[in-house]
Amino acid sequence: MIFRIFLSLLLLLPLACCSDYHEKLLLRPLPGNALLASFNFRSNATANSFDEQNFRYFPRSFGQILQHAHTKELHLRFSVGRWDAETWGARPWNGAREGGTGVELWAWVEAKSDEEANSRWLTLTNALSGLFCASLNFIDSTRTIRPMKTFEPEGLHPKSMLPNLQLLHGVLPHEVVCTENLTPFVKLLPCKGKAGISSLLDGHKLFDASWQVMSIDVRPICHGDDESNCILEIEQTVDMVLDRERSKRPRDNPIPRPLPMDQIECDVSKPYHAEDSCYPLEKSSEPAWDLAEIFGRHIKGDCPITGDDSMTVCVNTQPERIINVFTNPEDQDFGMKKIPEENLTCFEPPSNGTDFSLSFPEQNMTTPLPLASPRIHAFRSITGYGQERGGIQAIIQNPSSTEPLDVIYLESLPWYMKPYLHTLRSQLSPPSTIQPIKETYYRPALDRRRGTHLELKLHIPPGSSLTLTYDIEKAILRYTEYPPDANRGFDVAPAAIRVLPGPNDAVDEDTRRRGIYVRTTSLLLPLPTPDFSMPYNVIILTSTVMALGFGGIFNILVRRFVAADEVPENKLPLALTALVARFRGRIRQVITKAMGNREKTE
Amino acid sequence: MDETSPPESSKATTSTQKQPPPEPVDAIRTRQLVIFSFWAIILFLGLPTWWKTTSIYRAQLPLQLMEEWADGKQCKPTFPLRIAVEATPGPASVSAPPMAPRILQHLIKNTQHALDDLNDFPIHHIRLLTSELSTTTSSESIDPESEIMIPIPDDIALLMRLIPIGNGQPPSAKLHTYSPVLDVFYSSNMIPTEGSSFTSPLAMFIAKELQSIFTEEQATIAHALSMTSWGAPNKNRPELAESLTKRSTRSFKYAPAYYITFSLFTPTSVPFDWDIEGALEKHITPLLSSLSSISNFTTDSQVQLYAGFTPSIKPEYDADKNSWSLSRDDLSGFINAAEWPLSPNMGAGPTINFILYVPAAHQSPLVVRHNEGGDPSNPDRSNSWLIPQWGGVQILNLHKSSAGVISYLTKDDLESSMRTFSTQLLSLLGLPNSPSSLPMRLSTLTRVHAASLIYSASSTIGALARLTRTLPSIAIPNQVASSVDRSISHLSAACSSLSNGKFASALEEARIAEQEAEKAFFERSMVAQVYFPDEHKAVMYVPLIGTIAVPLVTSAVREIRRWRKGGK
Repeated sequence: MIFRIFLSLLLLLPLACCSDYHEKLLLRPLPGNALLASFNFRSNATANSFDEQNFRYFPRSFGQILQHAHTKELHLRFSVGRWDAETWGARPWNGAREGGTGVELWAWVEAKSDEEANSRWLTLTNALSGLFCASLNFIDSTRTIRPMKTFEPEGLHPKSMLPNLQLLHGVLPHEVVCTENLTPFVKLLPCKGKAGISSLLDGHKLFDASWQVMSIDVRPICHGDDESNCILEIEQTVDMVLDRERSKRPRDNPIPRPLPMDQIECDVSKPYHAEDSCYPLEKSSEPAWDLAEIFGRHIKGDCPITGDDSMTVCVNTQPERIINVFTNPEDQDFGMKKIPEENLTCFEPPSNGTDFSLSFPEQNMTTPLPLASPRIHAFRSITGYGQERGGIQAIIQNPSSTEPLDVIYLESLPWYMKPYLHTLRSQLSPPSTIQPIKETYYRPALDRRRGTHLELKLHIPPGSSLTLTYDIEKAILRYTEYPPDANRGFDVAPAAIRVLPGPNDAVDEDTRRRGIYVRTTSLLLPLPTPDFSMPYNVIILTSTVMALGFGGIFNILVRRFVAADEVPENKLPLALTALVARFRGRIRQVITKAMGNREKTE
Repeated sequence: MDETSPPESSKATTSTQKQPPPEPVDAIRTRQLVIFSFWAIILFLGLPTWWKTTSIYRAQLPLQLMEEWADGKQCKPTFPLRIAVEATPGPASVSAPPMAPRILQHLIKNTQHALDDLNDFPIHHIRLLTSELSTTTSSESIDPESEIMIPIPDDIALLMRLIPIGNGQPPSAKLHTYSPVLDVFYSSNMIPTEGSSFTSPLAMFIAKELQSIFTEEQATIAHALSMTSWGAPNKNRPELAESLTKRSTRSFKYAPAYYITFSLFTPTSVPFDWDIEGALEKHITPLLSSLSSISNFTTDSQVQLYAGFTPSIKPEYDADKNSWSLSRDDLSGFINAAEWPLSPNMGAGPTINFILYVPAAHQSPLVVRHNEGGDPSNPDRSNSWLIPQWGGVQILNLHKSSAGVISYLTKDDLESSMRTFSTQLLSLLGLPNSPSSLPMRLSTLTRVHAASLIYSASSTIGALARLTRTLPSIAIPNQVASSVDRSISHLSAACSSLSNGKFASALEEARIAEQEAEKAFFERSMVAQVYFPDEHKAVMYVPLIGTIAVPLVTSAVREIRRWRKGGK
């Protein structure tokens, strides 16, 4: 269902031909007082203007990076938080616009050899790192892999180009995504957060969300083999799940406080119910919410360069839901369109920078909003104990009772986490005779040079859950390789899982090209961590031991052993006493002289 | 300690000392051998190993040579300007024959004398020689009005064509705008007679003409060299020197490639498109193709909506003129560096920014308020200004059209702005104002750039030599030494190309020399070692050396003392 909504949203946007810029905001209330806000911005450039570097809505800084790094298709993700699939249902965009926690980047780079591809990839990561104020430059060879089957080009590349394209993939699970990444992201938009739906994007609210993804996708769309016929499309999306209660807190008074008693619905049937005690009831009605209150801002009119479809704000609720429109100045013209079969209500914000907002009063709904169920569930965790060995356990569930599931499971592990592939076990529950691992691609790690790349093709029968386990060994790092907060542990990138299209999936071309993805949460791997004053202690201790050993041996070799009464007189203490006595006498002399002088002067 | 300070010894000082039995000779010998072998191991094995493992690698640098380059002792830059002289037949209307070769030779000799007398700038040598190129066949006659594109070899600075015209007319000269060709028209009665030792009026005329063509270049080179420690005397007049300083601070450092970014900024959403392709093709591309002999140029453009100037700048409303005005002080802060995406291009080479700013409708027209000393002769440029070594800004006030807001800027709308940008570009590149021939101005620029690059590369090398001398703890990897060697070899190649009059190759060599010199100077591994202080090393060594050195030294001292006592 959700899938269909996204599909229909996509159909609402005319496929890039007429105007160069489109934007869309989809709002969907989720159970648990959450709200999904899904922003989508698309613009494109023709291959000619791109090659001549005459940029209009395609951001110049970004375009030049792509040209310099010979990157033909790029996907960049910044993510925080976790999508709660059990409460919120299927993921927006089927997970195709998502990345693992932190930063994830994959790109198709045009290169004739692996070395060339690596150097271009290095250029790309370094340049993006500067552009987005992120540590993307830390994506080095140990964090880069070349996935085989997990990712497929989303763009339509000219056929002559395909043999020279190399896919590289890098993850930074430790990266903390924050406002400094949002600012350059918003700057890439033609309306820059000054007008249109992007005016809602505020770092304070965005990074306060329960789950949030910013993504940039650049892909060429070529029809035929003629390269001049291509357009380059850049799509930026921001998806977030906001806690409506939490977002409503005023910025100057952000401490949560309990509601006054009279505003809480209590379960009066409880024996302990009294004036001062209450068992709160789940509200049966849809709570009231206001767009401006949740985002802390109004939509500042429409972005005037938006293409034909200017119904940019869509709300996914039941058709009978009352929606009040707020404009400032009042009574401005705005467009509205209802699509009841998809539970969509779309609005066109007024032009000329008019403030625009939507508010939803509290309302008792007869029908709940249908939520699509996810195609797949995936969990991954570290097992075992101790500082030497451990294990990884991944559980992949197929909730469908009828359709089997074919998936590609990709892990990009850091080199200091060494898996033993011979311990890889797969177990289906309920038990079955089917061998779930169909294909394996494994590229072992090389210490400090590259990480492990494990890609599996799995088959999961209907209603089954697959448990993958394997053992790992934890490496001991060099002293300088530990980060400042070494005892926190090391982040391990999430596993990416791609659901292969089944025979019964009737989807359109674009959705099929995007694919269906899910990512597990990232892991925190504790490594044996030394005491960091150790090297100095070692140096000093070794020196002392060596000196003691040396002193003993040297003295035994060199000294002459005599009887105690034969020891010659030691002149050193006597000489010292004489010296001290002379020194004292000298001082006394000086003092008496000084006293004498003073007496004279007096 | 057992031997030196037993507790009983102090008590027993007064009593008669019981002597130990005399030590056997071989025991003394063994002890001496033991001490000697310990010292031998430490001195011949320990110390060298320690020295080898802890010393910093310093590659051999030709310090003497490097400093000589920096002081200008290795290269005396000279600019021999070869001027090819050609005698051509007169125009069709005159139908005069070309000057006879013998007379031509005589005239050249004569003019050369006059030039040498006039020239007080030793670095410039203007040399006249007979042309070996034949631009015209003898039968063909010359049309003085038309300009022909003549391929001129690299080492010829100017081609002078002597064209006879009708009798009695005073001599005149015309410099072609698009090729380095000077046409000198003379009447045949001015031809110097052979054998006369006096400077003929024609020779004098040509000498003065040539001298005036190269005046500005001489001033520029003199100025460039006077800034250096190479100590060329600066004989320029102060006001000229000031304008030259202004030009050199304004212009970009020479680079083999430049990136030019044209940006359209508007604080509102209109205009959101412009015909930049057409405008570039019409106004900028021809200019860049003629400049391509000195550097490569790459252009790009962008449109940025909702990009206002720095918010702290408040234009004032001028009720008389119904316009908004910016004061001169506002211009320096006009660029909104925080919001305007003006990141430099990723390629190697500086980025030149040209900004076209279309003010919002409620703040339009936006003009720059000029002080009394403004340039009234050029009202077209009053809304633009140049930011030294960065680019140029132009405010474009759109005429309020009846059709409402203008959302698309056509080629014609952009014409005046593009003209301004072209002038600003030439100024930013440091192109001299004269002579009128563009190729000659470019070749002047080539020579000036070559000279300044040679100077800057040699001063970088000199700085590296000084650094090496002053910081003995700095590491010098082999790459630095090889970069220095390459830089010096390219420098001498550049210098010899200069003196041979091959200015383009001199520029190329000087550029490589400069690049290598910079690479050597900014070698990263050199810097790391500087920040490792000696105290840290001491902390490491004291526990080890202190405890081992004390017994070794005391035993050695005692043994030596005993040996000297025994020797007496």
